[in-house]
Amino acid sequence: MLPSATGGQFLRTLSLVALAIAVTFAVDTFLAKMEQSETRVEAARLYAQGRQLLAQGRYAEAADSLQDALTIQRNNRDYELALAQAQLGQGQLADAAATLDRLLTADSTNGPANLNMARVLVKQGKTSQAISYYHRAVYGSWPDDATGSRLNTRFELIDLLAQQNSKEELLGELLAVEDQFPHDLPTRLRMGQLFLQAGSASRAAVVFQQILKEHPENAAAYSGLGESEFAQADYRAAANDFSLVLRLNPQDHAAARLDLCERVLALDPTRRGLDPAERFRRSHALLEMTLNAVQPCSSSELVDQARKALDAKVTSARRDARAEADLDLAEELWQARAPGCGVPPQDPLVLVLTRAAK
Amino acid sequence: MRRWAAKIRERLEELRGSDQLLLVLSLVIGALVGLVVVAFILLTGRLAARMYPAGGSGWRRVLVPVLGSLSTGYLLWRYFPFARGSGIPQTKFALFVNDGRISIRTVFGKFFCCSASLATGIALGREGPSVQVGAGIASVVARNLGLNARQVKALVPVGCAAALAAAFNTPIAAVLFSLEEIMGDLHASVLGSVVLSSATSWMVLHLVLGDDPLFHVPGYQLVHPAEFGVYAVLGIIGGLGSVAFVKLLLGLRAWFLRQAKSTVWAQPIAGGAAVGIMGFFVPEVMGVGYNNVDKVLNGNAVLKMVVIFAVLKIIATAVCYASGNAGGIFGPALFIGAMMGASVGSVAHTLFPHYTAGPGAYALVGMGTAFAGIVRTPLTSVIMIFEVTRDYNIIVPLMISNLIAFFISYRLQHEPIYEALAHQDGVHLPTAQSRAGDERIQVRQAMRAAPPVLHPDEEIGMALNQVRDGLFDAWPVAGKEGLWGMVKSADLERAAATVPHETLAKMLGSQDPGAPPDAEQLPHVHPDHSLSLALERMGATGLNALPVVSRGNVRELMGIVLLGDILGAYGLGKPGTGKIDAEEVDKE
Repeated sequence: MLPSATGGQFLRTLSLVALAIAVTFAVDTFLAKMEQSETRVEAARLYAQGRQLLAQGRYAEAADSLQDALTIQRNNRDYELALAQAQLGQGQLADAAATLDRLLTADSTNGPANLNMARVLVKQGKTSQAISYYHRAVYGSWPDDATGSRLNTRFELIDLLAQQNSKEELLGELLAVEDQFPHDLPTRLRMGQLFLQAGSASRAAVVFQQILKEHPENAAAYSGLGESEFAQADYRAAANDFSLVLRLNPQDHAAARLDLCERVLALDPTRRGLDPAERFRRSHALLEMTLNAVQPCSSSELVDQARKALDAKVTSARRDARAEADLDLAEELWQARAPGCGVPPQDPLVLVLTRAAK
Repeated sequence: MRRWAAKIRERLEELRGSDQLLLVLSLVIGALVGLVVVAFILLTGRLAARMYPAGGSGWRRVLVPVLGSLSTGYLLWRYFPFARGSGIPQTKFALFVNDGRISIRTVFGKFFCCSASLATGIALGREGPSVQVGAGIASVVARNLGLNARQVKALVPVGCAAALAAAFNTPIAAVLFSLEEIMGDLHASVLGSVVLSSATSWMVLHLVLGDDPLFHVPGYQLVHPAEFGVYAVLGIIGGLGSVAFVKLLLGLRAWFLRQAKSTVWAQPIAGGAAVGIMGFFVPEVMGVGYNNVDKVLNGNAVLKMVVIFAVLKIIATAVCYASGNAGGIFGPALFIGAMMGASVGSVAHTLFPHYTAGPGAYALVGMGTAFAGIVRTPLTSVIMIFEVTRDYNIIVPLMISNLIAFFISYRLQHEPIYEALAHQDGVHLPTAQSRAGDERIQVRQAMRAAPPVLHPDEEIGMALNQVRDGLFDAWPVAGKEGLWGMVKSADLERAAATVPHETLAKMLGSQDPGAPPDAEQLPHVHPDHSLSLALERMGATGLNALPVVSRGNVRELMGIVLLGDILGAYGLGKPGTGKIDAEEVDKE
């Protein structure tokens, strides 16, 4: 059973094997480095191609390229993120979520990954989870232009909140970034509109007024200011601003708003400077309109009371007192109506009654 | 310095004669084979990148495989005839027929021709060739070290395991494959060496290429128990697909073998042309295709496309292999399985989205299913898929699917692919069944009752008188301690002429008159030993009669087995009388 070769041959063979191991190791190392660098270049090429296709909206092709890049260079976060974007663009929400999930498992503070996950969740209708991911994106880490990226993320979140009509959260986000808003005109106009949407008409008015200081001929700013004043029930100022809008841009939709303001102003019995007769006439008309609007859905007692008030003859000496009484009765009728009954919220009658109640 | 060299030389000389030599060589061969296989993989990859640069024209996909198969076909025909095909049947041929001999020329031929062939896009795999390269390296090293045929043969599976561990990044499956397929014996005595070389090779692979599994697979799991039914369907489809592939490959190969010998050098072009034409329209068919498998495993499967991939790959691989290109069928088997699995998974997930996992999970199971159906190594395939993916959750569905595919494949294509390929070449390798058949005949079927025993204190002269007219030429010596050993009649006669008054105990080499020799030196067999082992031991000890002893007590004599009785059991002679019924032995 002993080896038949001589000791010298045995040792020579062992030495040759050792030499072969050393040489092969060197060759392997060389080839492995070559492969690493070549595949890295190939992966980068596929990634660049994928990004290009992504920018062109060719999501399926982009996903293919990016998948190939990722197969070559696994665990590259940029590639994975781009792939998730392509999958999101394709509408493959589950795949995109899975890709992003892998990324976030590796780094939960990854800003772009959190942002894209938020977008996926928005598309899946999971808004509350999406908002949470938007917040993580805002406070997450960004590879470059962190400030700009965070601000854009906030804008996206603000847009979502505006769509959702989540006024309080929207206002909170707006106030958080108020100082960081860029000072270009479109952004400031948008900010004013968003404040308006968040229910903060006074802040919106301030924004629009600031814009008008620098751009006195800006129709959009006047329109925004008009809306802010309208929201604050300052119909006279609103009408004035809408008039200016129409002067600057006759095609603007402000004509309808101006008409509404004028109808409110024409109906409003609380307006200052009215003589007693006019004030009484308006109160009387307001009561009559309110009665017509809520008659089918109000208590018969109040309706009878209103009818009596409308039929009663009023002397000129009692007009002031009757005007006040009619206005009160109109408000009472309006408040006592069944829910959902009455006229649309943007009807002059509603606007006047709301203002009177204030 | 000289003293050091002398010491090292002395140590090595000691090692040459020791039993640890094979273990040490397993480490050395594991490292060398691992490095060579890594070089093979890297070289093939770099060559392929140069054959098909990014943005290359579609015509390149037709021309390159044709030219590649032409050039490698000529080289294989002219210089490396033993490097054609997969490498597994060739390795088994070397192991069982050729005393483990694989030439250095075959190793080089396989390495370079296969690397070039695969780089040109031939639809074959790299694992089978790696196994032959690994086995060849082990054989060349062992023979150059002057080892005997038995030791060379013992090192061949060591090289196979090292090669497969590096090629597939699956050290455990490599061990199993070497034992299950190459050796055909999961209890082979080389297990320790095979494990060592596989582990060494795997470490080398990780040292050079890092810890990266062959496929990256998301964590799949069983969504609903009803999914087992779908996995069973996958097993049926995988089994049928495997049979179709094997039959097509064997049929095509038989056709190529019938062609004129003068066309052998040109035959591989048929494979190159077939894969080139298919690759022009469907590039995914070309090469090993692991990138596409990886994509499908990650769920990127479009039903129509994966069905096309599976069908075309079956055809492309069958033509490439049958026409004599160098390359294996491991990789293609995994590709075909992944595509078949993804097809089944896509349909199931479309029909029952809430009860089934995505197509990726089925692609994963499909890989193992096709491997079990084509290569017919069910245990290796389960472990290999586990190692390749490192995903334990899918093991049970994988086992179910594998066994169904294995059963269908066994029923419809009785002969395993590697045996059938060897048969086509006129080589009849020992099959697992034939080896098991040899093992089935046991000592208990040929043993007979123990003859009267000699006592250790008996004098040689008296003992000789006692056995002079006996039927046997060797006799058991037993005392109150039990069996002491066997003495040959011829030895007794020789000893009686010189030292007739010495005791048998002394003749058996006992130092202490009251104590029997070491039990380790006792020649014996057990009733459940195979007759082939009994023959081996008779040859080793020079005895024509061996004592049959209990497994519970090696000194408890149960009977005796004679050479003539063994030959009789094989039908070569008439068995003698006094044979013990096997049931009686069991009762004892």
